[in-house]
Amino acid sequence: MTKELQELLRTPAAWLRENAEQSEMVLSSRIRLARNLESRTFTHCADQAELAAVRSEVRSAIAEAPSMAGALLIDMDETSEPERMVLAERRLISQEMVRSYVNRSLAVLPRETLSVMINEEDHLRLQSFACGLSLADAFTRLNVLDDELDGALEFAFSEQFGYMTACTTNVGTGLRASAMVHLPGLVHNGDIRQVIDGLRHVKLSVRGSYGEGSEVTGNFFQISNSITLGLSEPDIVSSMESHVRKVLEFEQKARDALLKEARSLLEDKVWRSYGILRSARLLTSREAMGMISYLRLGVGLGMITDVTLADVNEMLIMIQPMHLQFLYDKVMAPEERDRSRADYVRSRLGGG
Amino acid sequence: MLCQFCKTRTATIHFTNVDGGDVQKIHICRQCAEEKGFEYLKKSNFEKHDLIAGLMDDPAAPPRSGHRTANRCPTCGRTYAAFSKSASLGCSKCYECFGADIAKVLKRIHGNARHLGKVPRRFCTDGATTRRRLKELRSTLRAAVESENYERAAELRDEIESLRRSLADGKGS
Repeated sequence: MTKELQELLRTPAAWLRENAEQSEMVLSSRIRLARNLESRTFTHCADQAELAAVRSEVRSAIAEAPSMAGALLIDMDETSEPERMVLAERRLISQEMVRSYVNRSLAVLPRETLSVMINEEDHLRLQSFACGLSLADAFTRLNVLDDELDGALEFAFSEQFGYMTACTTNVGTGLRASAMVHLPGLVHNGDIRQVIDGLRHVKLSVRGSYGEGSEVTGNFFQISNSITLGLSEPDIVSSMESHVRKVLEFEQKARDALLKEARSLLEDKVWRSYGILRSARLLTSREAMGMISYLRLGVGLGMITDVTLADVNEMLIMIQPMHLQFLYDKVMAPEERDRSRADYVRSRLGGG
Repeated sequence: MLCQFCKTRTATIHFTNVDGGDVQKIHICRQCAEEKGFEYLKKSNFEKHDLIAGLMDDPAAPPRSGHRTANRCPTCGRTYAAFSKSASLGCSKCYECFGADIAKVLKRIHGNARHLGKVPRRFCTDGATTRRRLKELRSTLRAAVESENYERAAELRDEIESLRRSLADGKGS
């Protein structure tokens, strides 16, 4: 493994520390564009020779793209499974790419703000990440990269269907916008169910996230658009952003109400969680998520001032199972992992 | 909106049940949903492909008469049956050869079947851009007529006429 990849996997993405709007309630914004090459078979139907040809064509286009200057190019064939799993936990590649890695590649800027998956479900999956609620910025940056690549590559496109994708759920703009939001207030007052129903009603999908299974842990949710056809890209992005803002308004109200009606109870929960995180010797993923959720709330409300939101964001990434194994450089059984998770969290929070 | 079942409480769960060609909208309150065993809806973590398969017609059913759909894409060899099972395609040419069915599926997934948005550079010749603008204007005109905004409609008609003429004269230049 190259030194650059080592470095990338060991350190959390630089954008996690950026100052951003609404970061008390929004961890990250992500935009993805799906593109395929004209007159090439889509990935899931292509043979290895076709995949190799697509990869080399896309690779040379990326090498010429100014937005990707200084990017790391990682051929999945040359990575180990644990390395790919770390990349997947970081959402730079998909779970599918952990399994099917031959003739697949990832190009990523060292800051991890821009990346391109090659030969995922579509030939190209362009991604941009940003801290807080900054879907519009993330889209602008990704759109520039798309323009650059459009000069060098011929994308499959039709006047009627737009950008043609392997799955009909992505066709048209090929755009998926998502925001990772932290909603402890709405979970606590029980309104979360209605908020989720409401979002589904306006064709946005909601998923719990950061858990080891699909269940919601730590009050983190991912909101994303499900319609990709028949709306322009700026319309998709701005309507997503306004719906997310609406949710944040509700969350803010829920937090205000909590502070007004149950301040001591809330303070106790926050400080107790902080205490446990600073002293625990074993932390399961689930427990850690729950405690970090309270810590993040406490930091956001200004109760805790010696920890920043950026510290919390980084911890959320680094306490994932594969990240821990990578950080401590060994394969671990679950109990051992819980020990390392507690060690890591204590060291981050200056605990004893 | 009231729950369709008890007709007294407010419906908080809204979903669309798609079974073959049947689309049924259901509005139900939480209590009735739980009583009626719709509990699983709370999870709503369908596998993507299960959901899509529900949008498709029965793959075993013979193509209806008057359908343009082919049985197999001549370019990549993907069959109609494989497409119906997963709603995924083998290559860009599949979009042409399964066109009519794809349009139908897209309407169900996205609410419409026409792209509006970014266009790759090679499709941005003056003629193509003018034609796209014309398409947009015509749909705006229809909307204006429907809402009886005749003043706006007249303006739009003039604009369409002048664009149409420029397209005919100078190929859109």
